[in-house]
Amino acid sequence: MSARNPGMATVVNATLPYILDFGMDTISLAGTLPAKLAAVRDAGFSQIMLSARDVVGHSDGIDSAAHAVRASGLRVTGFQVLRDFEGLSGHLHEYKVDVAKSMLEMCHAVGGKVLLVCSSTSTHATDDADAMARDLRKLAMLALPLGIKVAYEGLSWGRTINEFTTAWDIVRRANATNLGLGVDSYHIFAAKTGLDELDFLDPDKIFLVQLADFMWQEVRTLEERIATARHFRVFPGEGVHSSALADLVLRLERIGYRGDYSFEVFNDDYQQMPLPTVAARARQSAIWLAEDVLRRAVPLPSQMRLQRTGA
Amino acid sequence: MAKEQDMTQLSDRELTAVASNPLAMDGIEFIEYSTSKPQALGQVLEMMGFHPIARHRSREVLLYRQGDMNVIVNAHAGGQPRAVEPAEIPVIAAMALRVRDAAAAYRYAIDRGAWIVPSQVEVMELNIPAIHGVGASRIYFVDRYREFSIYDVDFTLNPGVDAHPPALTGLHWFGIVQYIGSDRLVEWTEFYTELFGFNVLPDEQRYGILPKGRILESPCRSFYLQLIDPKPGIFDPEPVELFQRVGLGTPDVLNTVAALRQRGVGFVESQGVHSEARGALTQSYLGGVMFELVHDERS
Repeated sequence: MSARNPGMATVVNATLPYILDFGMDTISLAGTLPAKLAAVRDAGFSQIMLSARDVVGHSDGIDSAAHAVRASGLRVTGFQVLRDFEGLSGHLHEYKVDVAKSMLEMCHAVGGKVLLVCSSTSTHATDDADAMARDLRKLAMLALPLGIKVAYEGLSWGRTINEFTTAWDIVRRANATNLGLGVDSYHIFAAKTGLDELDFLDPDKIFLVQLADFMWQEVRTLEERIATARHFRVFPGEGVHSSALADLVLRLERIGYRGDYSFEVFNDDYQQMPLPTVAARARQSAIWLAEDVLRRAVPLPSQMRLQRTGA
Repeated sequence: MAKEQDMTQLSDRELTAVASNPLAMDGIEFIEYSTSKPQALGQVLEMMGFHPIARHRSREVLLYRQGDMNVIVNAHAGGQPRAVEPAEIPVIAAMALRVRDAAAAYRYAIDRGAWIVPSQVEVMELNIPAIHGVGASRIYFVDRYREFSIYDVDFTLNPGVDAHPPALTGLHWFGIVQYIGSDRLVEWTEFYTELFGFNVLPDEQRYGILPKGRILESPCRSFYLQLIDPKPGIFDPEPVELFQRVGLGTPDVLNTVAALRQRGVGFVESQGVHSEARGALTQSYLGGVMFELVHDERS
């Protein structure tokens, strides 16, 4: 019996070195922050994507939440999510700057190095690309002294920016060292963005990749996109987009992306399943990607040669 | 140029000057140390040629000066978030920049993503605008440094003191050394170029005897910031980023070293670092306070 999960035996899985760059996201799990941290760590993951709600909702306050995260030994993949930031003016802009500062301070407190920002859905926001770029450049400057990078993600139901291609255009316009792209497989598949477009990205400017599968082939309307994104995602390999996900990950590897992959899986069913059960599914997904897709468990010929030389 | 002349009447040359020095910066007004042992730091400053000039009216804050250099020693615990709390080892808590219009400079920086430092002024004290700098430090904007000074309002002169003692051997501000984390050179460069208009000097342009990192020149060309990243091969996941030491310019380093030695200042004399015509480094005092001397003809 485990004190963390009363009534359930905790299965502690070995950390596999080749899944170190895969992590879970707290939004896939129900329960308290300490329970989520324990479940993710016990499933053999070394990192976790945190949500502001985890920190704010922690019963003992933000400092205690930050302490729990640091004590868990898990690296913080990133912190989410700042919404509807860019393109506003006047008092709306000032208000969002205050919200951004609060998110940045929490991100810093838990040791996060990446803040996720979703493209705006607001009808109050301008569609002027230069204005959006200017706001994101300002956000990046706010994040800079705290050592935080900003990952800008094109939400598939974003008002003006709804694909990674146009998000990349804004990132380039903003031209700030600590502003880059957040790539989310769900939005790519939902918007049916061509994966060939990934070849035009600078891998060093991709600050976060989030992966999720889902159960249906098409999400036609914006409402359907939102509902699917928020309730029906599954781990990579569990849905009907597995081959496209494999293709996506291989393409990112090919262009030179060496950063983290986080499982951005919003799923109402997983919210009412035991945490170790959900974490075990995530672990299977990571092993599938690492072993079957990226073939990391197989020693590369060059590595075998090096070992023989050294012996 | 007539004072009433507005921006529309500026010549191309003047517009270029505005663009390259957007805050109309004009040097360093003061450097502030924070410490719970102000007397001990005061002794070190006096050894370095500074004179105790004045005390703050409402807080445990002292002003030291020599020539054009002002040093504030702050032992007042403000209790504000993201602020330096006075500890035994003194730290550089702030630099104050002279600008033409402090309010305009403050607005310029905030519009581009600087963090506001909430002010905590007492009745009849000056509200000096500040933004957050590296670590827990602040960067102040001061526009009252010509006809009257900020110290006239907030400080009381020590009895019988010469308020404007000359600098020892022509010492003047040369710059500040900032330690940064791994892979942070480009980011911190962007911070200083975007918010203040600093310029990156070419790598071959070096000063002093510790030619590491990257040097940024102030837009007023009167002082420098030196950004130093960790030694290669050393990985520190939580590096401490801070203002580490100040640099003092002198037209004759060895003459200054001799004068300071007479006052009791020790210098680092090792195989790698030693006093020479280009520069010198004092010993570390009180657990971390050191001064770098740099050859600089200005005085």
